[in-house]
Formats: sequence, structure tokens, C-alpha cells
Amino acid sequence: MNANGYILRAIDIKKDFGMTPALQGASLDVRNGEVLAIMGPSGSGKSTLLHCLAGIFKPDGGEVWFDGKRLDKLGEEDRTRLRRQSFGFVFQFGQLVPELTAEDNIALPLLLNKTSRSEAYKMARSWFKKLGIDGLEKHRAGEMSGGQAQRVALARALITQPKVLFADEPTGSLDSLASEQVMELLVDLAHEQGSTVVLVTHDPRIAAYAEREVMVRDGKVSSVQRKAGVVN
Amino acid sequence: MFRLGLRLVTSGGREALTRLTLTVLAVAIGVVVLLGIFADFHAYQKTSNRPSWESTSAIQSTPSSYAGVELWNYSENIYNGQFIEQLDVAPLGANAPVPPGISKLPAAGQFYVSPALSSLLSTVPKDELGNRFPGKQIGLIGQSALSFPTELAIMIGYEPQQLEALPGTIAVNNIATSPQLMGTTNIYRDAFAIGAVAVLFPLLILINTATRLAAARREERYAAMRLIGATPRQVNVFASVDAVVSALIGTLLGIGIFSLLRHAIADISFSGVKFFYDEVTPTLWGYIGMVVIVPIAAAIASLLSLRRVQISPLGVSRKASRPKPGIWRLIPLIIGVPFFLVKALEIPSQTNTQQGPGLLIIGLLLIMIGLVTSGSWLTMQASRLMAILTRGASSLLAARRLSDNPKGAFRSISGLMLAVFVGSFIAVLVPAINAAQSPISSNSLTNVLRVPISLSPQDGASLIHKLDSFSGTNVIPLYVNPALLAAQSDSANVGVPPGGGKININGSGPGPVDDSVLSCASLKLLPVLGKCAPGETEVTANAQQTLSGDNPLFINKSLPLVNSNSQPISDNLGSLDLGGLLVKTSSSDTLEKVRTFLTTYTGSADDSIKGGANLSAWQMGDIEPETFGEVAQIRNNDDTNVGRVILAAVALTLITAGCSLTVTLGGSLIERKRPFTLLRVSGTPVSVLYKDVLLEAAVPLVVVSIFAAGVGLGVSIPVIRALLENLAPQAMSYAHPSLSYYLAVGIGLLISLLLIITTLPLLNRITQPAEARFE
Repeated sequence: MNANGYILRAIDIKKDFGMTPALQGASLDVRNGEVLAIMGPSGSGKSTLLHCLAGIFKPDGGEVWFDGKRLDKLGEEDRTRLRRQSFGFVFQFGQLVPELTAEDNIALPLLLNKTSRSEAYKMARSWFKKLGIDGLEKHRAGEMSGGQAQRVALARALITQPKVLFADEPTGSLDSLASEQVMELLVDLAHEQGSTVVLVTHDPRIAAYAEREVMVRDGKVSSVQRKAGVVN
Repeated sequence: MFRLGLRLVTSGGREALTRLTLTVLAVAIGVVVLLGIFADFHAYQKTSNRPSWESTSAIQSTPSSYAGVELWNYSENIYNGQFIEQLDVAPLGANAPVPPGISKLPAAGQFYVSPALSSLLSTVPKDELGNRFPGKQIGLIGQSALSFPTELAIMIGYEPQQLEALPGTIAVNNIATSPQLMGTTNIYRDAFAIGAVAVLFPLLILINTATRLAAARREERYAAMRLIGATPRQVNVFASVDAVVSALIGTLLGIGIFSLLRHAIADISFSGVKFFYDEVTPTLWGYIGMVVIVPIAAAIASLLSLRRVQISPLGVSRKASRPKPGIWRLIPLIIGVPFFLVKALEIPSQTNTQQGPGLLIIGLLLIMIGLVTSGSWLTMQASRLMAILTRGASSLLAARRLSDNPKGAFRSISGLMLAVFVGSFIAVLVPAINAAQSPISSNSLTNVLRVPISLSPQDGASLIHKLDSFSGTNVIPLYVNPALLAAQSDSANVGVPPGGGKININGSGPGPVDDSVLSCASLKLLPVLGKCAPGETEVTANAQQTLSGDNPLFINKSLPLVNSNSQPISDNLGSLDLGGLLVKTSSSDTLEKVRTFLTTYTGSADDSIKGGANLSAWQMGDIEPETFGEVAQIRNNDDTNVGRVILAAVALTLITAGCSLTVTLGGSLIERKRPFTLLRVSGTPVSVLYKDVLLEAAVPLVVVSIFAAGVGLGVSIPVIRALLENLAPQAMSYAHPSLSYYLAVGIGLLISLLLIITTLPLLNRITQPAEARFE
């Protein structure tokens, strides 16, 4: 985190996919602990911006800073470690390893971080009550509803207490009731853990859970809104 | 509809292209191996069914004219352990039949030779080989007279009066055209059949697996098509076209690769000899069958796989969750194994040899069935154990994947289970039998030439003298026991056993009469023959088996010929007929020189048929001079060749299983692209996923191989006991499998693992975080 309280900063970043420009000088600051929604129409570059912020993509130009370090200058191995230790991810669907049980899936990031098996499973089980999915510990992805699977994915993303949780259309495959429940849990748990949330969505109802919204159009962050009104 | 199906196959994006490539490659590999098996089997059948001119028999009645008759004398000769087929022939008329492989009969003093013998004659000194064949080479024997390219054969022309006097000469007017049925023909055919089935089964699984690659992703696409109005029948058409196109491309590619590899395949010698290149072909029908059957089988497999799922416009649902393999699958093993344990714990003297083999065979069949049925249950238990015992994320992923679908995991390697079992069983059995036969080849008799003959005392002495003149030779003469001759003349009414040997007149005489007399001094040259009682100079012995037996087990049993109880004899050895010789030589060159000399030796006369002509004085038996090592080698070769065919099948099966696993893995990676990519996005090092994938494939492969090998080695023990405890109890041993077994299994496993490793770049590429698309 820098002196201004920003945990993530994107400065004039550019990213092309062949002949197609995705980001054309996007800049964004993310404050520590805030819930930020990135909105925009399809193809505007919002997911690409999230991937650049998370170190999944290396931008072709510009700078990405995380916690005072140049993320875009890190090698693949360092970015992988950073994602494992400091970031969590929730996506629309297809996140759970189908052969693993719910508790296996949640414990997996801890096992990858060399946490002992018993400790990893103990921590994993503690999430079920919190998420309201008691009794599903031994269920597999195919044996759960979309909302239940998404809660397991949320637990898996948060179990390592990441500094930033990236969520890309996290409720895109859910009905409105399940969407609300998942979003409430996501925001509450992130606050509880002190995690920053970067949320990509095109749904204003989902964006409403954020403390701040930004709009991406044609590869640029065109406006930043606070709940109270337009800032710039 | 078909055109749309074709477009879907070819324009499904990178993922569809990857799937198509994997399917095509896997089918191509399966087709290459199948064509190789068919081609080798065709060559083997062609060789086995070759008209056997060697089996020509004599005219049954006196012919009215000799115009179409010839004198014919077929014999076999040995050089350096290799048989030489020798035909001595003399036409009696202008229309005498001509054997295959030559255009006309050789005139007296001329001969035709096979290409391999021709090359040998040009490189080996004449006194070691060439002097055996009088005359001048006028041409080569063609392929139609030979069984394999390296066969040694010669057809020598003579004057009729020369050949007439040679023992074994017959008059023939018709050359045999039916195939020769040897004792080993059925053994090889059975071994080939076992080997072919062992490989065929996993190959079919490979092709089946390949054409059902990434079925789940394909089914999702079909569901999307149902959503836009496609009927179930149309979906079936799409699935069939998909399977047929990929299988057809794979088959054509396989045929192309096979054509390039045909020379190399023809060079592989499974049965100990190479086949003629032009006979190593699956034939036109084989190619056509492959092009027709493989795509049809692929379409059927694809449609059958669709029966298990319900594809609706709203998505894909399984008709029923996969049932886990039950413990009942162990029942055949549980029943079969005790048969072997009971047999293994038996004390040899208590063995009931009548019941033993029956129990063993029943038990063996039950175990083989049990191995196949229990495989998926064992896979499930092994994966559960792995999940409990291991700590890392990779092993957790692999263990869960395996225990989620143990039947699927085992399917790819089920053929392997049986092949490794049979291979391991044979790999212990063959060396044990060979070891029981090998004492004669491992002791001082290995390079000793045995020569069964019949010579007068004077000619015998002359021959021994001439053999002694070769430097580096020691001769042990075996004289005919005069008591045997007396018994034979007295036994006209009671009959003489074929080939002489022990005679017990009326069954009430003083006991069996030994056939030979040996000098006690000569025994010191070959201590393995035994030792006389102190003070004795000559003793009798029964040397029939030693001189002419062809089964090393019985020869071993007949040794030592002499012991302290051997009957002494007081006759002057110089007055006895010579009945046989054992010739010890110091080198292989000397051995062949002696053999060449013996082959052409004709007593004291100078005129020649086979070099000389005084045949009344010199008769070699039907058995050519051969060493004891060669006798054992001939037997061992048959067993070893059978073992080699089976081991080749094991190696091929292992590699095929590796291919199946690779294809299955490739497909499963495509299906798990999303969760794996997300794991990488979340910071999972790709090495963790590599380890997971390797464990998923290697664990069942290695566990099944070790289990099947263990059971195969274990059950071979009672079988060895049942086979050998009566015949050769002193030589019964549980020999280690040969090096070729370890090589076959080791190389097979290594290639399989290397094949599996080839999926890792695919895993890395398709799960690149930068390629992630989850929205």
C-alpha cells in the first residue's frame, strides 16, 4: 500500500490482442479495503483490465502497481506466487475441480501453500457454516446448485485471506435471489477479512454492492462514481 | 446433414482441432500396430504353409517308366548351431521332377545353394564347411524353396549309381507340396494367437478411447444444437460423422506410417527367424478391412457412449451416476488363488500328478478372469489409499480423479493387466524349463560332439585314429556291448525295442543289458560321464539316450553313464564294433573341421559318394554329428521363441496402454481446461498440475503392472513344480525371468511414461492464465 492508501494502481495501461486493442491507456486506483465495481458494456475491456490488475496479463504499456511494487515488471513465477499468496479469484462458472469434494476444493489453496493437511481441512470446514452450506462438505461440484458451488468458490478464494479479491461476473450464472445471497456474503466476508474487492460486472444491481463504481469504455476508464455522485 | 456434420468437425476452433489431432494420432498408432500384427501373422502363416519339398516321400510301387523318376536323399547338417538342409539328387530320366526354387536339376558335380549358405561358403574355410559339399555352385535356390531369408540349404547333383548306395536314398516321382507340420507349429500359432489377442484388446480400447475423446465437451455442443432445434437423430448423425471422419483420417495416416515402417517391421524377428519382406503384408483385404471396420467401429462406439447421456436443449445429464466397482469383483481371484497356494505348498512326493494340472488350469483361468474383473476395484482402493496417505495438492487431485471414475481409469489399461500377467508367467516358466534342460549345456558336454555310428572293429579303429590326428581333439569311443548283440540274436521271437537299447529277454533274465562298453581310462576325459569302480578297466553302460536322445531333460537323467556299480567287462576293446563316439574339441574351428571330416568320411576307400563310397563299412545314424550344446539349444530355442512372442506382446501392450492413457489424459485436460486454468490463475504453479496429471496416469499403469507381474510370477511357481518335479527334480529351480523380460516390461513402461509426458505441453498451453476466459 502506498502513502495515498492505494493498494492497486493502473497507470495508462495498454493491451492489444493481435490487431484488436483491448485497453488504450486505462488508469485506475484501488484503495485498500474498498469494494470497487468495474462496469462497462461487452467488449469494453473491463475483464482485460481486471486481468492486468491481477497479474494474469502483462500489459503492453503503462504500469501496474500492487502494494508499492511494480507488478508488470515481475516474472511469471513471481506473479504466480503473488496470485497464490495475495489474491483470490471468483469467476462466473467452471471454477471448482469437478472430482474434488467441496471441502477438498476449499482446502486446495492451503495445501498448495504447504499448510498441513489436518489444519487445511479444519480451516476449510469452518467456512461451511459461515456460508450457509452446512452438510455439503463431501459433495462434488456436480452435486450442488449454482449458488452453492459459487459459495464454495468464494470460500476457496477467501480462505488464504487475500489482500485483494478479484471477482469477474461472480453471479453471472445465478438467479437473482442466489445472486443477492452470494454478493452479500462476498462483501461481508471481504470486509470481515479486510480484503479489497475488485468486481467486474455489467449488472447495475450487482454493482450496487460496491462502494465505488468505474466505467470502462473503449479500453479506457471513462468515469469514476461514488455512491454519492460522479467524482470525475 | 452430413455436410453440416463435416463442417462441425473441421471448424470447431482450436479446441476441436486439438481433439481431432489427438484422435487421429491415437487411431493412427492403433492402426499401425494392428497392421503390423496382421502383416507378421500373414508372413508367419505363409511360411508355415509353404509347400514342404523336404517332406517328399518315396514311390510306393515300381514305376513302369523311370522317365519321371529321380533318386532323392534329404538330410540335415549342422554348422555352428545352424541347420543346413541338404538334398542330394540324381535324375533317372529326362522328366524327373524339379524341386521348387531352382529351374532345373543340378547335374552330377554341381549344386545350388541358398543365398545365406552361398555367403557362408565364401567366408568360412573349406575344411570347416565347404568340403562337406562336393561339386561346383551353379546358382542360387529361390525364395519358393525357403522358409526364411537366412535359411541354409543346398541341392547337390549326383550320378544315380553314386546316390543309390547312400543310406536313406529313395526314388521319387512327385515332390511334396503340402505344408510341413512340425511339433512347434501349433506352439507358435498358439503363442502368436495369445500375443495377438493380448495386443488386440488394448488396441481396440485405444481406438475406442480416442474416438470418444473429450466426450463431455462434445456433448455440451450437441446440447446447444438441440437448443436451436436439432433432433436426437440429427445429433446422432453429427456424432457419427465426427467419429467416422476422425477415425478415417487416423486409419489413412496409420496406413501411410505403416508403409514407411514396413521394412523395419519385416526386420523384427519374433519367432527367431526373419520373414521375407514381400510376405510381411496385411494384404489388400487387411488394408480394406481396416479402412472400413475402424471408422464403423468408431461410429458405433460414439453412438453407444451417447446412450449413457441425456442430451436436452437445457444441457447434458447423465442417466445414472456411475456405480462404484463392488467387492464381488474379487471373487474369481479369491477362488482361483487357493488352487495355486494348495499346489505350491504340496510336498513333491505327495503330488497327485493326475489331479494337479487340472486344478492348476482351473485356477489359472479363474485368476485371469479375476485380474480383469478386479482391476477397477483395485484402482479405486489404490486411489483411496493414495488420498489418505499423501499430503500434497497434486496427489489429492490425482487420487480424487481416479477414485471418481476407477472404471474409466482402469479401462485404458485393462488389456495390460492380462498381458503383463501372461508375460510374467511365461517369463519365469521358460527360463525354469531351460534351466532344467541346461545342465548339459552348462557343463563340460556343451561343445562335445556326439556321433552315433556303426563300424566294424577295424574301421572303428581307423576312424578313431584319424580323429585323434586333429590337434585339440579327444575321442571317447562307445563300443557295442557283445552281450547286446547276443541278446538281439536270441530275441528274434520277443522283439527288440526300436533303436536297440536295454533288452530284458522274456522279462525274467538277469536284468537289462547295457548297449555300450566304455574304457575307464577314456572317462577321465569327461568326468561328467562318471567314474568306474577302482581297478576296473572297461565297463558297460546304457548310452542310447546320450547318443541319440533329443530331450535334454532325459539326457541329463541318463548321466552319469558309469558308476561304481557298472558292470565290468573283460573283452578286448579292439575286437568290439564301434557304436558311437563322443568327440571333445578345443575350439569351434576344430569342432567344424571334425564335423566336416565326419560328414564326408567314408571309411578306408578313396572313391567318393559324399567324397567316398565304401558305405557298407560306414553308416552314420539318422542323427548328424551335433554337440550337446546344440541339442539343448534346439529345445531352448522353441521355448525361448514362444516366450519372445509373448514378451513382444507385453511390450506392445504396455506401449498401447501408454497411448490409451495419453489419449485419455489429453481428453480429460480439454474437459478440465476451465478449473485447471483457474487454479493457475489463482497462483497454482503449473508443476503442481504436471504432477497431478503424471500421477493420474502413472499410478494405475505402475500399480497394475506390478500387481499383474506379481500374480504372474507367483502362479508360475506351482506350474513349474507340476511340470518339472517328476521329470527333473534335481534340476528344478525357480529361475529369475530373463533380461529380455525386464527389458520388455521396462522399455514398455518407459515408452508409456514418455508418451504420457507428451501431454504436459498441452496442459501448459491450454491452461495459460493469459488465455483465461471465464466470463
